[in-house]
Amino acid sequence: MSDFGFHLAFWSLAAMTLGGASMIIISRNLIHAVIWLVMSMLGIAGLYLTLSADFIAVVQVLIYVGAISVLMLFAIMLTPRAERDNSQNIKTGGPAALVVLLVMISTLWVAIDTDWGAVREAALTDQARLIGESLIKHYILPFEIGAVLLTAALVGAIALARQDDEDAAVHAASLQAELDGEGSVDPVNVVDPPIAAEAPDSEAAS
Amino acid sequence: MIIGLEHYLVLGALLFCIGFFIALSKKNAVGVLIGVELMLNAVNLTLIAFSRFGATEVALSTQVFVVFIIAVAAAEVAVGLALALVVYRNRQTISVDRTTLLKG
Repeated sequence: MSDFGFHLAFWSLAAMTLGGASMIIISRNLIHAVIWLVMSMLGIAGLYLTLSADFIAVVQVLIYVGAISVLMLFAIMLTPRAERDNSQNIKTGGPAALVVLLVMISTLWVAIDTDWGAVREAALTDQARLIGESLIKHYILPFEIGAVLLTAALVGAIALARQDDEDAAVHAASLQAELDGEGSVDPVNVVDPPIAAEAPDSEAAS
Repeated sequence: MIIGLEHYLVLGALLFCIGFFIALSKKNAVGVLIGVELMLNAVNLTLIAFSRFGATEVALSTQVFVVFIIAVAAAEVAVGLALALVVYRNRQTISVDRTTLLKG
């Protein structure tokens, strides 16, 4: 690997990762924040490639860039437009910044000051096979627990997000009322008490 | 100057701190989840860096560890977003300082 190309890859990917992460802090729209998160995750996947962890890089792209970001976008779009404001911060931002600064100073100090005894051996080849084998051989118990955890999370997420039948009827009625009305419904008012008042009428009308 | 372990560690530490600050300062619950995801990714990056610059037998276990972290993070985000939806449905807001049901 040519040294210049490696340097270029590392610094540009590092800039992409940190830049995307910083843009999340200042972006005012939550959807933009998720897009910046995707950029940061892609940068991290590239950094995994520079560390010759190909399998983890592909998993990162599949799960974070593909699945989790889409899940977040869905959650944002299922809540009304008024909730997409990312610009509000808590009032105690000063102490939070102070805590973060202390953590940053201490971690950076440890990272730079410690003698890690880094060795540069040849990277693992055939990583997907090796990881799969060790998952089945050495780490079979954590693997099974992980499977149970994922199933529990799946069932739990469905059970939490599922609407009761009455709620679903009211919600569908309010959606229908919104569609029947003029196209420019004020998105802020959609969720307010008028729904409950309008819903029986539109049910009666339909 | 060659790119060594320290470069990745410093990058991971900075990314962790950015995620920490987002998780602490955002009012929107999804914003807080984004911060937590960034922190998890920073830890993964640090682990993979140790895997590359460590002994070969350590390298494999570290990568398996990262696979587990990614699986747990995916479960966490699914349940977290479902919780945000439920809180929104009941309280008409997902702002973390206006959901004060447990406040005495």
